[in-house]
Amino acid sequence: MAGLNTADGQLRAVALLRARLLINSLRSVRHRLNLVSRAIGVILVLAAGIGGGFALAVLTWEVTKSGRLEWLALVFWAIFLFWQLFPIMASAFNENLDLSGLLRFPLTYSTYFLVRLIYGALDIATALGLCWLLGIFTGIFAAAPRLSLWAAPSISLFALFNILLSRAVFVWIEHWLSHRRSREIIGIIFFLVVIGFQLVGPLLGRYGERGSRLQLHVPAALLFLQQRLPPGLTSAALTNASLKRYSDTAISLLLVGIFGAAAFLLLHLQLRDQYRGQNPSEGKKRAEPVASTAVSRGWSLPGIRGPLAALYEKEIRYFSRSGPLLFTLIMPLVVVLVVWGGRKGFLTHQAGFALPIGAAYCLLLLTNIVYNSFGADGGGIQFFLTSPVSFRKIAGAKNLAHLTILVVDVSILWLGIRVVYQPPGIEAIALTFAWFLFALPLNLAIGNLLSLYSPKRIDYATFGRQRPAESTILLSLLVQMGSIAIGAVAIFISRAYSNLWIATLIMLVLAVPALAGYFILLWQLDRIVMRRREVLATELCKT
Amino acid sequence: MDAIVTTSLTRRFGEFTAVEDVNLSVAPGQFYGFLGPNGAGKSTTIKMLTGLLAPTEGSMQILGLDVATHLVDVKRQIGVVPEGMALFGRLTGSEFLNFAGRMYGLDRDTAAQRTAELLDFMELSAQPKTLVTDYSHGMQKKLAMAAAVIHGPQVLFLDEPFEGVDAVASGTLKAMLQRMIARGVTIFLTSHVLEIVERLCSHVGIINKGRLVAQGSLDELRSGVGAAEGKMSLEELFLQTVGGPRNALQELSWLG
Repeated sequence: MAGLNTADGQLRAVALLRARLLINSLRSVRHRLNLVSRAIGVILVLAAGIGGGFALAVLTWEVTKSGRLEWLALVFWAIFLFWQLFPIMASAFNENLDLSGLLRFPLTYSTYFLVRLIYGALDIATALGLCWLLGIFTGIFAAAPRLSLWAAPSISLFALFNILLSRAVFVWIEHWLSHRRSREIIGIIFFLVVIGFQLVGPLLGRYGERGSRLQLHVPAALLFLQQRLPPGLTSAALTNASLKRYSDTAISLLLVGIFGAAAFLLLHLQLRDQYRGQNPSEGKKRAEPVASTAVSRGWSLPGIRGPLAALYEKEIRYFSRSGPLLFTLIMPLVVVLVVWGGRKGFLTHQAGFALPIGAAYCLLLLTNIVYNSFGADGGGIQFFLTSPVSFRKIAGAKNLAHLTILVVDVSILWLGIRVVYQPPGIEAIALTFAWFLFALPLNLAIGNLLSLYSPKRIDYATFGRQRPAESTILLSLLVQMGSIAIGAVAIFISRAYSNLWIATLIMLVLAVPALAGYFILLWQLDRIVMRRREVLATELCKT
Repeated sequence: MDAIVTTSLTRRFGEFTAVEDVNLSVAPGQFYGFLGPNGAGKSTTIKMLTGLLAPTEGSMQILGLDVATHLVDVKRQIGVVPEGMALFGRLTGSEFLNFAGRMYGLDRDTAAQRTAELLDFMELSAQPKTLVTDYSHGMQKKLAMAAAVIHGPQVLFLDEPFEGVDAVASGTLKAMLQRMIARGVTIFLTSHVLEIVERLCSHVGIINKGRLVAQGSLDELRSGVGAAEGKMSLEELFLQTVGGPRNALQELSWLG
């Protein structure tokens, strides 16, 4: 077996693989642009790491000097939560190199474990976590050099525990996400968390005043628990060391070490299963055969027939089966809650604008769908390209589906505002309608163009594959902001004359060129598709 | 009038010429196997014939219609199973077939009836709620084939239809193709599996490095130049035409 790579060589080969993947990705302009945005990201991470580390050093110096080291528990908890949760959230936006693919090579288990541990830990959370912990250590060293003898092992153990636990959690999530349904469930949970964050403001607005009068009670049980978990234990180790209670310090360190060992064991068990090939497979849970059922005749829609009806049905079916896309139907309810929360706040004097503002937000939510409308079709684009149906009809049917979703969104919004707030006035409804007549064709026209010029395959069931191209995101946001700004200027002018109908009139006038532009572009689509068909097929069929 | 004719068909990608001066001629009702080593230009040719790729030079006629000027009319009469299968993963098999039928102009009743028949024939009707994305590779191939024939095309283009398909599914596909040939449909198929081509096809074309190096009926080609005694097998013909394998074992002596 002479010449076979040693573990050391295999680790180096994986490092080279990652470097080569990066270099090869630079062959396309899009990926070069992505590298620029990544470089900006690295600068931001460095700033957060160094800046955060410096701030923590100062803070730790202060608490060490004043003998209140127990307060560091809060910092350790913040670092711990960031370290464990950030990689999961970040995986929603990035495609990660699947290191389990290396199992086809003759790696020993220990090498595989090391590869997963070392290369998996090269992430933002670990980099920032280590920077911040270094900052804490520096603060302690500067304030009480003797204490640093205890701080070094305490902080190192805490770091090691975090690295091991985050890897174990990530491997578990990776394992769980290998099922399409799990991916969809976590996608929905992720978006619900995002929605939850958006509700914090309105809820604070509504209950903030009352809350400030309440005393904040942290249950004793919670305090007891936090003191027995690694962040609390690390803080306790430092506090006890500063009070020269070395046996208590040693016990705390021992407990952190036990937690670290448990995380190591968890990671080992998961990776060992993976190494033995006990990965779940999509095929495992294939549905049991059932007796064949009658085939549906497809939808019959008033005024829409033939391929257009089939395309519309397909779009709505796709939409209803894409968990994260359902997000757009939930959001009007969130807007209603925002309105409800803002009744005594920012909306007190702007009641009439609840509907137009909410409606503009609903249009903003459709960005991902409208501006990359072929993205979810993937390989299906080849079917479109070989079918005898014009792209004018295909894009038209997609736009009709987008319009349907928007109508549903705005209806929910109107109903919600009517129930929890007050019925929107006729002026507000007319203004909203007029703004849509202008903004919707504008967005759909540019969306159709970008869908052809900057297509990107998206998979709503896979984390990290749900975003359109960066250039599309940037341009779509500019268009959205532009159309909202124009609406705002029209309202500003109308308020100067104390007549909201002026804004409606302005929007109706602007709607004429927007609608004309939309239809002119729609008629040009087939010509554009003929020129772009290779790019479309190549980009959208990528796996 | 031939079903498929190409004249000086050429496709370049920058400096690289993928297909050069290809003149194909496929008669109606022929089962035509288009062979070639990897990267020879088979898929590029089929993509041009089905409108997925524009040729750099040359022209193509399908059923007498110029592909460049009558693309939509051509598309109405052809069925295609491209390399990527062209499926919509988030529809069920039944929904996809129904959709495909209606895209080709079938009314709702006809589309539903043919969908049911095709699902039964392809043995795909047992999992009506399963999304296409959850189908096995073989099931997806069968579904792609069903979608390509639902409108009763006159010409069928198949790019590697048997790749990754098990023997059972392969048998179903072959049975359907033979039934179509019996009804006068022209089939243009690319495949790496020479045994399948030898068993199914009446005519073959061999492309190598972008150039069409042989074309004709299987019998003509097998008894052509180079056949020592009697007829060559298709494999011998293929290797002789595109060049046999190098003596790799000599170069890889370390394999032992």
